[in-house]
Amino acid sequence: MITRSFKSICTSLSLVLIISVVIGLQSFLLNKETIIGNPVNEFSLINVDGRKIGLNDYANAKGFIVVFTCNHCPFAKLYTDRLNALNEKYKLNGVHLLAINSMDSILYRDESFVNMQKRSKSEKYNFPYLQDGDQTVGRNFEADHTPHAYVIWKVNNQWTIQYSGAIDDNGEEPEKAKPYIENAVNALLKNEAVTESCTPSVGCKIFYRK
Amino acid sequence: MNVIKSFCLMIMTIAMNQVYGQYNDLWIPDTLSGTQFNLNLVDTFAQMRPGNQTITEGVNNKFWGPTLFFNQGDTVHMNIQSFLNDSTTIHWHGMHLPAVMDGGPHQVIPPGTIWQPYWKVTNNAATYWYHPHLHMMTQEQMTKGLGGFIIVRDPIEAALALPRTYGVDDIPLALTSRRFDASNAFVTTNTSYGDYMLTNGTLNAQVSLPKQMVRLRILNAEMERAYNLGFSDNRTFYIIATDGGLVDAPTPVTRVIVGVGERIEILVDLQNDVVGSTLDLKAYNGGFSLGFPGGEPNPNGQFGSLLNNTTFTVLHINVSNPTSNPITSMPATLVNNTYWTAADATVNRTINVTNGNPGGQPFDLDNTPFALNTINKTINLNTIEKWTITNNNVFGHSFHIHDVEFKIISRTVNNVGTFDEGWKDVLYLPVNSSATFVARFDDYADPEHPFMYHCHFAPHEDGGMMGQFVVVDNSTNIQEQQEAKEFSLFPNPSKDKLHIAFQGENFEVYYIKIMDAVGRTVYMLPRPQVQNGIDISQLTPGHYFLQLTEEKTKLTTTQQFIKE
Ligand SMILES: [Cu+2]
Repeated sequence: MITRSFKSICTSLSLVLIISVVIGLQSFLLNKETIIGNPVNEFSLINVDGRKIGLNDYANAKGFIVVFTCNHCPFAKLYTDRLNALNEKYKLNGVHLLAINSMDSILYRDESFVNMQKRSKSEKYNFPYLQDGDQTVGRNFEADHTPHAYVIWKVNNQWTIQYSGAIDDNGEEPEKAKPYIENAVNALLKNEAVTESCTPSVGCKIFYRK
Repeated sequence: MNVIKSFCLMIMTIAMNQVYGQYNDLWIPDTLSGTQFNLNLVDTFAQMRPGNQTITEGVNNKFWGPTLFFNQGDTVHMNIQSFLNDSTTIHWHGMHLPAVMDGGPHQVIPPGTIWQPYWKVTNNAATYWYHPHLHMMTQEQMTKGLGGFIIVRDPIEAALALPRTYGVDDIPLALTSRRFDASNAFVTTNTSYGDYMLTNGTLNAQVSLPKQMVRLRILNAEMERAYNLGFSDNRTFYIIATDGGLVDAPTPVTRVIVGVGERIEILVDLQNDVVGSTLDLKAYNGGFSLGFPGGEPNPNGQFGSLLNNTTFTVLHINVSNPTSNPITSMPATLVNNTYWTAADATVNRTINVTNGNPGGQPFDLDNTPFALNTINKTINLNTIEKWTITNNNVFGHSFHIHDVEFKIISRTVNNVGTFDEGWKDVLYLPVNSSATFVARFDDYADPEHPFMYHCHFAPHEDGGMMGQFVVVDNSTNIQEQQEAKEFSLFPNPSKDKLHIAFQGENFEVYYIKIMDAVGRTVYMLPRPQVQNGIDISQLTPGHYFLQLTEEKTKLTTTQQFIKE
């Protein structure tokens, strides 16, 4: 039952209609395969401090929590404290949190690099906040909504996706939430399989330019 | 076997009641009145069910936004600012206004943009509404709760002794239902019917109503479901208004069908009810034949739902003490409507519901799926037309036309029933039937910008069951293509007001768009009143483009300016 329901989320043949808000074109995004176990390619994105950051910059990392988020989405904003707490908790175990903004900064004035810097500062982010200016990284991860979180882990010397979906299952009441990310990271740190490896991400749709 | 079965059912029922059984106080939308209306479109979320919040959209922060009060004769100015993640449009359902102000699929408001339509209110006193109308996105955005009521007042209605204390004895009720997924998000694809009733966005809504004559303004804001409404004790209630105005006299009924998009105002007499007693407004949707939208019996799947083919409560009413000045009787007559008749019509049109067979093309009209750049009908200004809509098809529909209120003059089944009385802008069209209406297309000609006619079932409309018409004025000469007239912007740079200096005479502005340096649209100003300049004080300093379209030639010229 449980496996099936994961499957239906991650592998359902969902036809997602995108009205590209700026250029007025429509495209169809076809989500066909499960992305769990997929390899993650190295990337190098600019951080709000001006440095370029990639996975290889963390020599001894066991894993990463990669969170696609943004400045303007009300639901994403609920998770600020939780992101700081996750990074604080797991970086000592070699699992680092990277936040990536793949929102179209031409479409949304709020998503400019300057506004990312402001937000990182005002919310006291203790993790890098990277701009995915051409949306390549978000596209490769198939990030759907902000926030959309991934746990990636090294398998046979290759970074692979081990969890995809929501950070937890309650935006406004963290104390009542089922902590999907923590459960996934805890399992991986113990060399165990992630039991719930795929959930739908909930928040603001990320529109990809054609 | 039977014993075990009923035992299981009982446990299920109890469990359901623990989660969903409590009544919640009906949300009565806030009100806005005057002639200047500020509406912010936002993404937000609401605690609708235990667990995760449901992502919604709202006008001024609420799922189902403020009720706008218009006075007939006023010119109302709308200031719509979108903070949404996606583009949208806002349509003023039932309003008679210029097409360029109508908020149809062409008036796309991108994220971050301000749109400022305005018009003179000529509609009769009645209940109207506003909602998104972005092609292929209407179901999703309506599902998320973007929309609200419009209540028009006029002197005729104001002179009648009718309940009109909003939220006390005059209650707006937007009827919808929703399906939730496992993470409590609204399901908006492959779904036509909700599993849970929402009245003004409230699950299991209850309201206290005073022991007197009470007015309910009921809107079917569903995706597809029609409601066969009545009270739990089968009492008689009275229809006083339909879509576009009061009916001639209160019409007594015990049941009334309200199709998608339709409004109905009813009076219900609570004077013989005991204070503290309860009464339910219910949808008696069980047992209808297939084709009645709401009658399909499956509890799940694309066309099924937990509420289908059942009787369910729409509003739980607690009777409370009367107010200090209660309405205790009902006027015998309301208004003297003069309707167009078939004899007045000089143009006859027929429209057929086509396609929509399982596995085939989606529903459309006259075998022509909606195309944004196709004008399907051209109507001469001031013409009275007779339209016959025929549905020899597999399913019922709700036919809606913009710009006008019409009069239904005949039907092939059910005759012209109680729910068809009065001025209408939506008609419920059962399967295997035709309905004929007459309407006059007056006041607003615009060869450029179309109005819509369509099925108001959002999945059908999104699927292409929609056409476009323009109203043209043949009494004025259509100008041949000519050179755009010159204009200049001053002062430039400018801080607060940007003025337009026109070269030559008879310069009228059809549309102004202001875009920032990277091409984001910041202002959409249909027919702006530019005599006193354009207020740019809210713009962040920088380089901008002003794109001006002339009224007569519809030629567009772009100029730059700097905001200090
Ligand atoms: Cu339809």
